[in-house]
Amino acid sequence: MSSSIANETTGCARDSGPLTLGRILTNRFFLYAVSLFCFFYGWDLLARTLGAEGSSSLARPKEVILALEDLYENELADYKLLGHIWASTQRVLIGFSIAAILAVPLGLFMALNRYVNAIVKPLFDLLKPMPPISWISISILWFGIEETSKVFIIVIGTFVPCLLNAYNGVRLVEPELYDVIRMLGGNRRDEILHVCFPASFPAIFAGLQISLSSAWTCVLAAELVSARSGLGYIIVQGMNLSDPAMVMGGMAVIAVVAWGTTLLVTALENRLCPWKRKIAGL
Amino acid sequence: MTAYREVKIRTPLALKILPALSIAAFFCLWEFMVRSGAVPETMLAAPSTVAQLFLVKLREADPDGALLQQHALVSIEEAFTGYFLSLAVGIPLGLAMGWFVVAEGLARPVFEIIRPIPPVAWIPLTIFWFGIGLPGKIFIIWLGGLVPCVINAYVGVKMTNPTLIQMARTYGASDWQIFKQLCVPSALPMVFGALQIALACCWTNLVAAELLAADMGLGFMITMGRRLALPEMVVLGMVMVGFTGAVIGVVIDRVEKRLLAGIRR
Repeated sequence: MSSSIANETTGCARDSGPLTLGRILTNRFFLYAVSLFCFFYGWDLLARTLGAEGSSSLARPKEVILALEDLYENELADYKLLGHIWASTQRVLIGFSIAAILAVPLGLFMALNRYVNAIVKPLFDLLKPMPPISWISISILWFGIEETSKVFIIVIGTFVPCLLNAYNGVRLVEPELYDVIRMLGGNRRDEILHVCFPASFPAIFAGLQISLSSAWTCVLAAELVSARSGLGYIIVQGMNLSDPAMVMGGMAVIAVVAWGTTLLVTALENRLCPWKRKIAGL
Repeated sequence: MTAYREVKIRTPLALKILPALSIAAFFCLWEFMVRSGAVPETMLAAPSTVAQLFLVKLREADPDGALLQQHALVSIEEAFTGYFLSLAVGIPLGLAMGWFVVAEGLARPVFEIIRPIPPVAWIPLTIFWFGIGLPGKIFIIWLGGLVPCVINAYVGVKMTNPTLIQMARTYGASDWQIFKQLCVPSALPMVFGALQIALACCWTNLVAAELLAADMGLGFMITMGRRLALPEMVVLGMVMVGFTGAVIGVVIDRVEKRLLAGIRR
């Protein structure tokens, strides 16, 4: 908690003076508004000048919105916009759930039992450095371009952070906590149930957050390479039709959806483990 | 003579053998599965085939048009260019966002818009803008490395001990002096943490960029392997990507330890 105070102290000092032009200019929300205005206006201006020169590599914000409206109302390859969103989300959710169900218990086992660790850790270290995206080709060879290969990529991409965080979460539990529960007469089972699990929960959830964003990257990469539906497919279609508005519309939808799922996991985390210490940050 | 006797914890023999055994079992099983025909040759190549191809690819450019070391060199070059550019932009930006209200107010909303978009999603747009040449790939890699750099530098500055800041103010330090002499040094461990994270991001995005838009590089080699239905080439590409990434990771780790000696408590 205290870590975020650094700039709050200076902020308070700044807020308590009389209302001057300087204070308005350095007001955070004023600056946010200026920034957003400049961003969209600059984008529009750039797109217009480029468009006037005859190159169509950047769409104006208005065109992006129109393209989104078009996607929402008309079908693209059998699906409307919501159908595509659902196709991608479904893949992410299936892959993410499979990976979480497999990886978290495995990570816990590895941390709790050194024999399991001795067997699994070397294999894991062997496979870990390969980026999940490099598995796309082999998964197409294995499963074709159907749904399975996409889910497989997501599982690969989400497995590593889930497992690593569960593993490290248990290993980094403060040893004093074990001492306490032993003093209170707890046995190995109590240690695991009352110390290991609650204490490693925040780390596990951090792992789930990381793997969720990794899952979105993977599903997009898989859809860019080969798909008949999904948000990645929209972008690729936009590219093939050389329609930057469609590409940018797809990117905007991706941003919103990925952001939404992240919020969902955060909400779940706050509900499930309220004892997590707050970490200052973005 | 020391005052205490060193306690030696003996690891059971099984724990020493098991890791080697597990790796050996993995490779044997893999080789056996392919040799016995349980997995068809068109789907997976045996480790021995991959090793053979590795030796061959060092000398022969066919069928994908370049030697293995050329592919690797191109990939490393792209990754490092993008990586250093993202460090050069991301770290100063993050540091400034952490301390200066104006910098944060102006940069944060745009950053928050760009942050949730996976760099992979930029690939089609990048192809519009830069074609499939080097600049496009560097742009994707740069985007991938930028986000962790900014976040870590920002959090590092925010985590500066507030007591020290108040003390510096009491002694009459200016905002700029506090930033330069207090916030930046205290953010350094977080900034160095970003080096590793950003590298991993860059390396992943490199593969993505090369899968879609490239004519050379390790990711391109994987794609060619799939198009030509040569599983041994796909596996070799994956192994090379993993291996090269791991080596670079170790090097960065060494550099980080060197630079950080004396800073990290």
